[in-house]
Amino acid sequence: MNDGMRFEGRCWKFGDNIPTDALVKSAYVFDPMSEIVTHVLEDQNPRFPVEVRPGDIVVAGRHFGQSSGRAIATKALKATGIGCVVADTFARTFFRNCFEIGLPSLEVSGVTELVADGDHVIVDLEAGFFRNETRGVERVVPPAPAFLARMLRAGGLISLTRSDPDWAASTGS
Amino acid sequence: MNLVEKVLARASGRDSVEAGDVVVANVDRLVMHDLSSYLTSKVYEDRIGEPLPFPDRVVTVFDHLFSPPTELQADVLNANRTWSKKRGTQLFDCGNGNIHHVLMRNGLAQPGTIVVGSDSHTPVHGAVGALAVALGNDSHAGTVMPFGNAWFRVPEVVQIEISGATPVGTSARDVALWLVKELGEGSLIYKGLEFTGPYIKQLSFWDRWLFPVLCVDLGAKCGFIEPDDVTRDFVATLPGARLDLLVNGDGDNIADVHRFDVSDLPPQVACPPTVGNVVPVDEVAGTPVQWAELGGHGGGRLEDIALAAEVLRGRDVHPEVKFNIVPSSRAVFAEALEAGFVAALHAAGATWFPPSTGSNQTANMGAMSAGEAMISTHSRNFPGRNGSSEAAMYLSSALTVAASALDGRIADPRALVGGRVPVGAKGGVA
Repeated sequence: MNDGMRFEGRCWKFGDNIPTDALVKSAYVFDPMSEIVTHVLEDQNPRFPVEVRPGDIVVAGRHFGQSSGRAIATKALKATGIGCVVADTFARTFFRNCFEIGLPSLEVSGVTELVADGDHVIVDLEAGFFRNETRGVERVVPPAPAFLARMLRAGGLISLTRSDPDWAASTGS
Repeated sequence: MNLVEKVLARASGRDSVEAGDVVVANVDRLVMHDLSSYLTSKVYEDRIGEPLPFPDRVVTVFDHLFSPPTELQADVLNANRTWSKKRGTQLFDCGNGNIHHVLMRNGLAQPGTIVVGSDSHTPVHGAVGALAVALGNDSHAGTVMPFGNAWFRVPEVVQIEISGATPVGTSARDVALWLVKELGEGSLIYKGLEFTGPYIKQLSFWDRWLFPVLCVDLGAKCGFIEPDDVTRDFVATLPGARLDLLVNGDGDNIADVHRFDVSDLPPQVACPPTVGNVVPVDEVAGTPVQWAELGGHGGGRLEDIALAAEVLRGRDVHPEVKFNIVPSSRAVFAEALEAGFVAALHAAGATWFPPSTGSNQTANMGAMSAGEAMISTHSRNFPGRNGSSEAAMYLSSALTVAASALDGRIADPRALVGGRVPVGAKGGVA
């Protein structure tokens, strides 16, 4: 990792249209994060919450994180210790929440066709680059927008607004 | 500029904005429910903890819980009450109704304003010509509460143009469900959607409501209907009506147009596992259901209750079906009482629940055992959202829900209403 924008790790692959309800099920929403995190994506892959290691990389299909806009779903995924999340496309509130809570995320079109569980992958948000080391395939994609990269580098939206009182004036294009 | 650009330009103090711009804009209203208010206020107190400069802009509606079933949930509600009092925000306690219906009925979402919320169906307020967007807790706690603003990327606007008159038995709800399938879940990510065309224009306000509510399923950021006389007449009935804030687009900056004709559309059902898994009712007719419910963001309207009453008046709900009716607001319950629908549906065997969001996310009701099935007017059917991951949630119009409650199986409502109920016509249900 350099500057918080480049990640390298073991891939966990998930499918299309996975809702936030699969990240945090209704039954656990009031539980402490230490409990919530043990159920993340368990219906999709029961091994994931048990075997996920810090720095692993989640790779998902289309419209990942649809359903609820509550940031708790992104916070739960971040709490698993993964380095970043890559998807074919993200649901927009999920994508927004990723940057706002400091979970690096990158859209890579067709990414699920490039990976299998356990592959070793490299993701660079600022360069807009994805590579599967195991298979020797890579993609160049649009990098994270500057405003979002700045937010991520600050550690999330609240850290940004706390550390930079002029954040609103300096935001915009 | 289009409507979205005009609202964002005004709220960010700019002469103009265009798609792709990132702006920080003034937010007029933040709405949260019992769960999101709890999570957001925790973030706010942990990370910010200062007095709110605009406390009346922040609204909490207890809609998932109408009466807490556990001590833990009672604690959650009390934490919300305490926080609301401490920070001076607006609170609508248990029994007021569904979050979005309460906001709209109380005049807290006005045309031309910016409404944000954690609830993913917040874009529904585009029905009144507001720019309504779902954000996350950290935007709410980090910028909306302490600064009264939020960051927005200006979306491209896509028109969804609908024409034709639906056959008897097909309602606006069927059209909306069908649109999710036709356009595709997640097919319009980050877009702003304008729902337009002769079909949309002739709908009543509360039937128009069913279209921007589906933005989240399409992946869209927001949706709206250009305000017109229907909008103005409706807004005039609201407390504190602000017609002076109403904005219309100039008809330009439209990135794409999708056109549909609904003249021959049969009633539709969204089957598990996702909202876009929509089929004509005859493809699933006969599937046994143990539960039926009118309620949720797009249900529990007087229109829904009237249609159910039309089907069930003088008949009996199937003995193996529990048919629960959840009015979307206290006003709707009062109107249903006055119209005689409460007595008629009670006599038919339906059970009335307090105004709330009903079985949405199973906070207070609506859990199912493995193998059970429900048909409802709710907005979500993801497995695991209503009890067992092996229970099935089907989404349909109120007519199809009522017909199924009568039959004990998913049923085509057309045989029951042939020629009797003009569905979705302007002027609603009177």
